[in-house]
Amino acid sequence: MTTASQTMQGLASAKDLFALTKPRVMSLVIFTALCGLLAAPGTIHPVIGFTAILAISLGAGASAALNQWYEYDIDAIMKRTSQRPLPAGRMDRETALHFGIGLSVFSVLLMGVAVNWFSAIFLAFSIFFYAVVYTIWLKRSTPQNIVIGGAAGAFPPAIGWAAVTGDVTLMPVLLFAIIFFWTPPHFWALALFMNSDYSKAGVPMMPVVAGQRSTRNQIFAYSLILTAIAIAPFALGLAGSVYGVAAIALSLIFCLLSLQVARSKTTKPDEMAAEKRLFKFSILYLFALFAALVADRMIFS
Amino acid sequence: MSEIDNGKAPMSPEEQKAYQARQKHRAVILAGLLFFMVILFYFITIVKISGGS
Repeated sequence: MTTASQTMQGLASAKDLFALTKPRVMSLVIFTALCGLLAAPGTIHPVIGFTAILAISLGAGASAALNQWYEYDIDAIMKRTSQRPLPAGRMDRETALHFGIGLSVFSVLLMGVAVNWFSAIFLAFSIFFYAVVYTIWLKRSTPQNIVIGGAAGAFPPAIGWAAVTGDVTLMPVLLFAIIFFWTPPHFWALALFMNSDYSKAGVPMMPVVAGQRSTRNQIFAYSLILTAIAIAPFALGLAGSVYGVAAIALSLIFCLLSLQVARSKTTKPDEMAAEKRLFKFSILYLFALFAALVADRMIFS
Repeated sequence: MSEIDNGKAPMSPEEQKAYQARQKHRAVILAGLLFFMVILFYFITIVKISGGS
């Protein structure tokens, strides 16, 4: 028997198309891209700046749609993702694919025509990296998926910077590196208390493949590298004391929380308070660090 | 009003009504987005021709 939801499958609702862009992830992309744009030397007309952020956001939404088009099978297995439009049966795969490709092309053209073609190519590469390199190639084949795939999420501030300057210098590379080295401890903290979900779906996340002990040690190791990179803009004279104080204080807390995770021996998700604390703080960390960079730029320029 | 033929099983009157409501909702949102893009491209053009980019 054909149900109402099945007959409606050919016509996805606007709400589900919006959900396909992973709006919560997009908010972090918008924020970091905006910070890259505001921290860049030089000026950009507000209309062009707004268009650049819009294009980056649409590109991120397109990547998310393509990601869900490809991952509909494992999304259906994992509790966290089972209510997304595709696994829940509210949209067919073809719609998601067309939406993702259409949005990708539109975002890149918008960036190229309105802002500059360097940042447009940069944006196109970031969409390709997330949709093809991370989603299709790496995610299901290596436990290093998050490490290399993290690069995709690290592009927005560098693209925001490139929208203003038309090039990439050491500072946007450092902003890229901050998100790149932030991603593994952030996602592995989540993977530790969501371990059963990932192993059920057959995704080779680090705790599934290398075990909890190795993952905990690597979280701490990455937090130390992250600290060094987060402080680097201040140490190299590329950012002022407002950013420097914030980077040192935030990174110190990040390291302490990572150390708690590294020392923990619990294997039960319900008892993983330290892992949940690190996961929550890692989101605040990134927002606060980039906000401090912009505040620093506003004060000292 | 003609039956909607989307290559799937025929719809009941209630389903057809819901389908058309969804179509209308999507059309309204699309119109809003197109209007927004027209305004945005108008301002981008003004900025570009005045050399403000």
